[in-house]
Amino acid sequence: MLERHIQFLVTDDPGEETAAATRERLKGHFPPGATRRMTTLGLLLGSTLSRAEPGEDDGLVYATGYAESCALEGFLDSFPTPSPTLFQTSIHPSAVQQLMIGRQRPVRELMPLSGGPLLAFHALRASLLSPSPRSILCGGEEKGTWLLAHGLASDRTFAFAAALTRERRPGAAGRIGILRDEGKGSLGLPAFFDLLHARRPFDGMIAPGWRLRLEWL
Amino acid sequence: MADPPPPVRVAAWGCITPFGDARSTHAALLGGESALEAVPVLGREGGDPVPLALLGGRTLDETAPPAWLSSVKRLAATVPAGDWGAPGRPVFVTGSNFGVGGLYALRRTGNAAFAEWGAPPTCTERLRLEFGWGPDVSILSHACVSAHLGLLQATRAVHAGIADEALVLSFDFLSPFVSGGFHALKILNSEFPAPYRERAAGSIGLGDGAGFAVLSRGRGDWSLSGQALYNEMHHFTSNRADGSGFAACLEGASAAAGGRRVWFKGHGTGTLEAGRMEVAAASAAFPAAPIVGWKGGLGHTLGSCGLVELAVAIESLRHGRAPGTIGGAGPPMAPAVALESFETAPYGGVVCASNAFGGAHAAFLLSDA
Amino acid sequence: MPDPLTARLKQLIVETLRLEDVAPADIPDSEPLVGGGLSLDSIDALELVVRLEKEFGIKIASSEEARHALGSVAALTTYIRERGDPSRLPS
Repeated sequence: MLERHIQFLVTDDPGEETAAATRERLKGHFPPGATRRMTTLGLLLGSTLSRAEPGEDDGLVYATGYAESCALEGFLDSFPTPSPTLFQTSIHPSAVQQLMIGRQRPVRELMPLSGGPLLAFHALRASLLSPSPRSILCGGEEKGTWLLAHGLASDRTFAFAAALTRERRPGAAGRIGILRDEGKGSLGLPAFFDLLHARRPFDGMIAPGWRLRLEWL
Repeated sequence: MADPPPPVRVAAWGCITPFGDARSTHAALLGGESALEAVPVLGREGGDPVPLALLGGRTLDETAPPAWLSSVKRLAATVPAGDWGAPGRPVFVTGSNFGVGGLYALRRTGNAAFAEWGAPPTCTERLRLEFGWGPDVSILSHACVSAHLGLLQATRAVHAGIADEALVLSFDFLSPFVSGGFHALKILNSEFPAPYRERAAGSIGLGDGAGFAVLSRGRGDWSLSGQALYNEMHHFTSNRADGSGFAACLEGASAAAGGRRVWFKGHGTGTLEAGRMEVAAASAAFPAAPIVGWKGGLGHTLGSCGLVELAVAIESLRHGRAPGTIGGAGPPMAPAVALESFETAPYGGVVCASNAFGGAHAAFLLSDA
Repeated sequence: MPDPLTARLKQLIVETLRLEDVAPADIPDSEPLVGGGLSLDSIDALELVVRLEKEFGIKIASSEEARHALGSVAALTTYIRERGDPSRLPS
């Protein structure tokens, strides 16, 4: 079994909150003026990730199915005079970079994953295989507009950041691990987020051949 | 600081570029050829001419299904059979743009036929079904270091015993979305790239490319060691002025080289400041290493550059000769920059490095197993 | 009386870059635009270039040229006046 302790966890599920309201709610987490180029995903991901205080020697794994949908939509809409800001912002893993560049915080290892029905499993596997003593698994989505109509964006907005450690330290929230299993089920990123957000225990398939065990203290 | 993973072997490799497969690409670069041609930046919608290297018979404009699909299929057909995507045989698909040209066409035309290849999840799922892979297909995307991340994840899976062997596949094909974006950043302009050469203004070229590698613990003639990453998080499009980010990433490969003479295959897109810093860092970490960059011949193949250039590096070792730095004129940034091809026999391997937006760096040492 | 081109450029800077807490008149003429008191960076400069190219019919070919043209508001005013389409300059 590959497993780690959940040393720290923060989640944000804005529900039906508008992008403008999210910006207003979260802008205090960032220096004045820093949010003018940040996306909704960047604000959400940044505010959750910042609370995990990523350090240079942490391994950072970032999972998002559709990444910067709104920046992508905006960039596509800016043609025939494409916006360099929106081009840059639309490139994965922009949301993590929006925070970390804003804070001038290097990190040795950043593994941005994207998409796929087994994204939660692949991201968790990457975190559990990281040699760093502390691996921060973070992720999220932002709701799209016209891309969503074509099934190419998320229909939900959310973000999370979990600091996973090999050693259990005081204040640990839980334990998470994966082990081989003959079963066939899977768990998408939104459902994985819901487990974290609700602090719900889980013992079931996360991917064909792999079982997830999630326990809370 | 975590140590690099133990060495892993490359059991199979390949690439496809406008020059053809890995062998043909290596031969063309040995001959100093460039696949770059002046193409209107927005394809059929016109715009400034910029240097692009498109796969044969393809235009910049998207089709449905994508015109690049046949090339990816041709490349995938050379991957050794192996029940990929099944338990113990994971696939790591890496890239920066996937089918984003389809999104551009979708927005311009409203034709929903372009949608199904447009986003990384849908594009990769279509390929997974096309190639008959099992479900264990993950997607790593971090701009121009994407391929290196796939290699590192595959290496860890192999060494952790959860993969017998792992397939890493990387592809990136141009579209007005991509060329328009780089043109807006003013680094893709009408000037052809001259990597590692001093000139008044920097410029890059972009290219189509795809590559793959099968990694194994015990099978294969080539070894990847000293794999390392570093993310400066200084600025989206520039690096810390002291070059410390470039240096930090090369520590792993330097340790793996253990004092052996090596040559250095750099990222070298043709931009000036990054080129100077990269040359300085490579020279400091690997004194006397000849430094080469091939993007003046291939264009920058973006998310696939790590694997495309790995394939060319392997061909260089196999055939005993490495292409020199291709593109442009003007004095080299340092004496170590090799403008002509050279024999690889005197060297104990090659350090392959790539860099990306956000000050991301990746490197490894490739050598005989 | 402020130069109308300089005033227009300051307005464009605030609008294009969404500087919510900055009034156009607060932007100094001679301070560096990038790396100065407005905390603008090279991406902001390029975003401004797109807007300026559209409005004044100029063409900036490279990032090096952009850096030179956008050295300051005063430098930009001179650049636009020398290379812009005269029919698009504010009178």
